[in-house]
Amino acid sequence: MTTDRLGSAVAATRHQKDWFAQTTERARSGEPIALVNADAPHEILRALDIPYVVTQWWSSIIAAKQAGPAAMERLVARGLPDFSLQYDAMPLGEQDLPAEQRPWGGLPAPDFAIAERSGDVTQKIFEQWGERPGTETFLLSRTGADPVPARWWELVPRDWETAFGTDRLDLLQAELEELVAWLEERTGRRFDTGRLAEIMALGNEQAEWNRRTRDLIATARPTPVMVNDTMPAVMVPQWHRGTQWAVDAARSLYEDVAARVEAGHAVCTGERRRLMWIGRGLWTDLAMYRRFHDEFGAVFVWSMYLAIAADGYPRYGDDPMRALAARFVGFTDQLYVPPWSSDWYVKEALGHGVDGVVHLVADDTPGPGFITEALEAAGIPVLEIRANNSDARSVRAARIPERIAEFLSARVPERS
Amino acid sequence: MSASVPGPAAPRTATPRVGVIGADVPRQLVLAAGATPVRIFGSWSQPYSSEAAELLGAVDAVAARILDEVLSGAHDDLAGLVVCNDSAADLRIFYVLRILSERGRVPFPVHLLDAPRDGGAPRDRFVGRQYDRLVAFCESLTGERIDAAGLRLAARRERELGRALTALRARRRARECSGAAALHAYVAAATLPPEHAMAIVDDAASADARDGEPVFVTGSAHPEASVYRVIEAAGLVVVGEDHDTADAAWIGDAVDTGDRDEAVGRLAQRHAARPPLAARSRTRERAAELERRLAETDASGVLALVRELDDGPVWDLPGQRAVAERRGLPIASRARIAPEAALVEAEEVASALAGELAAAGQVTR
Ligand code: SF4
Ligand code: SF4
Repeated sequence: MTTDRLGSAVAATRHQKDWFAQTTERARSGEPIALVNADAPHEILRALDIPYVVTQWWSSIIAAKQAGPAAMERLVARGLPDFSLQYDAMPLGEQDLPAEQRPWGGLPAPDFAIAERSGDVTQKIFEQWGERPGTETFLLSRTGADPVPARWWELVPRDWETAFGTDRLDLLQAELEELVAWLEERTGRRFDTGRLAEIMALGNEQAEWNRRTRDLIATARPTPVMVNDTMPAVMVPQWHRGTQWAVDAARSLYEDVAARVEAGHAVCTGERRRLMWIGRGLWTDLAMYRRFHDEFGAVFVWSMYLAIAADGYPRYGDDPMRALAARFVGFTDQLYVPPWSSDWYVKEALGHGVDGVVHLVADDTPGPGFITEALEAAGIPVLEIRANNSDARSVRAARIPERIAEFLSARVPERS
Repeated sequence: MSASVPGPAAPRTATPRVGVIGADVPRQLVLAAGATPVRIFGSWSQPYSSEAAELLGAVDAVAARILDEVLSGAHDDLAGLVVCNDSAADLRIFYVLRILSERGRVPFPVHLLDAPRDGGAPRDRFVGRQYDRLVAFCESLTGERIDAAGLRLAARRERELGRALTALRARRRARECSGAAALHAYVAAATLPPEHAMAIVDDAASADARDGEPVFVTGSAHPEASVYRVIEAAGLVVVGEDHDTADAAWIGDAVDTGDRDEAVGRLAQRHAARPPLAARSRTRERAAELERRLAETDASGVLALVRELDDGPVWDLPGQRAVAERRGLPIASRARIAPEAALVEAEEVASALAGELAAAGQVTR
């Protein structure tokens, strides 16, 4: 058994803090910065050399520094809700916190707030950013997932016209062009398509390393790394997508994992059951991922963070703007819209040879039951848990560890 | 009833009915393809199955009721169903029904109508292509092709209904028709052939509409009139609203052309100019619309009722409150209204607003 964290995970976490300090420094010295949603096309900002902070990542820092409730209270003071899409809204409240309560010194007011209009509320939150002095908002359309051809992961890297449909791509591409013009006008900078092509190529390289890492973990016996350790090692470089640093970070994750496989390293030497974790990370109880080693020899081998980084991002083509539109037009559909989501989870479960699945059902996605049903139909037992992943009370009420133990005893036989 | 409307050339039994979930369908195109659009509304407080709740996840209860109605077979007579991407909840209904329709769980095909609301060339072009697909879908259900005569006839029928609705709005402002009666008429307009609906719209009137204080309703849409009845029993009269099952419904609008492509293009532009709805518009647009409608309806107060998990309207409240305050009008609001508590909470909020208006009236009189 090992409790050593992956070197690449530690390095990524450390880098992020340094990077934030540098970025806020640049902003305070008058350079424009942007606040963007996780599934907005960051590559445009990178091509224009506009540093950006990702809402969901910044929320995770605010929450980790225990500033979440105070930030939400600031929203309420302005008549805004504290119960609606908290993870997108928290940075808005953070802006109004007194200096000493702001994590890492706080986020300087961004010049640009950019998001896609997913759901009913994201656009409203980003509109609120634009009502603040010094910040302007740009919103992109978010079209519905139609069509949904089979085996999307084979189509999206090149045959994205089939995967997403030309109409949706035309719309997003035209909107990306509008965004470029909007940013050029405000920064006086010139957008360079050649630069975007380089950024896309680096993003693809990063995805290729993630794919190698994913494939290696899928076939390695026993499992060499903890799922919760690969999360930061994958996600932090994702916010730096399109840089050499991010490619190197993805590569060093691969090398760390390969070295462990080479050395016969096991997170649990008595591995007898391989498990898949579907849903967002259980941030309130990371130790839980290790809890079933001793009694059951049960190891979580899969989470969506690495797998989507492997399958969700690569887009190869001569027209970088079209490729970028294809990267984001249906990004969340890949994970959350059945049958795309359910087909993909089955493929990943089979590819990783899992014996059981714990499915933390997100209440913000449609048809979670279709995922469970598809896995069970493929002969893989599933435990469905309904709880809010970021709320400790909800997690306790759902008795997650107890139910996983019951599930392992009752439905997931040991491998010989 | 439909005697004044020339029938189609080919003999037929009944006009196919095309179900609609959401508020974005350009009705003229459906009518021109030889079908009747029939909106499915759900309700404030009817119970719904755990199956519908599990299929949709955490959404506005009205969406669960709509899905439940469809799954229960209540709409099995439909020839097809169009679901609009006009809210996150409706989009989820589409995703779920697309799968269930392929499995034969619902006996008709299900089609997505995806119409972003912001206007501008890229979006208008996308919406136009969506309308082309909608036309193809409706034609596949009716076996008819949209032609010049069909488009013009549909425009006439839709416009007639629009004129009846305009007259209804005037009667509401003149306090000759209650909000509950108006909502009932709007439901008829959204579900029946225009000629039949028109008779109901024309008849909508109520003597007691004079008795209450005129208020404007914003917040969640009202799928039926139960909450309006409670509001009006508290001494208020709903003289207008900005939600999509009544004044902000897209009914009665049409374009005059026999050219299909032109009709599609012009309807896409009309779509962009529609009143902004909570789930797909900016707060700024919503506040400006409220300002305009308050001036038009001459309401003395604003009532905002928002259902649990229908979060779009909640974000609009501060901007709407500022508008009401600027006009010197009281605004009463309640967010996160639980399904089972709708009538009770509506009564509380409406009574409070009625009390405030009565007190203000005594001061000024
Ligand atoms: S069973 Fe696994 S986790 Fe427990 S001590 Fe052995 S190797 Fe470590
Ligand atoms: S009169 Fe009203 S309730 Fe009766 S059928 Fe017509 S619309 Fe329905």
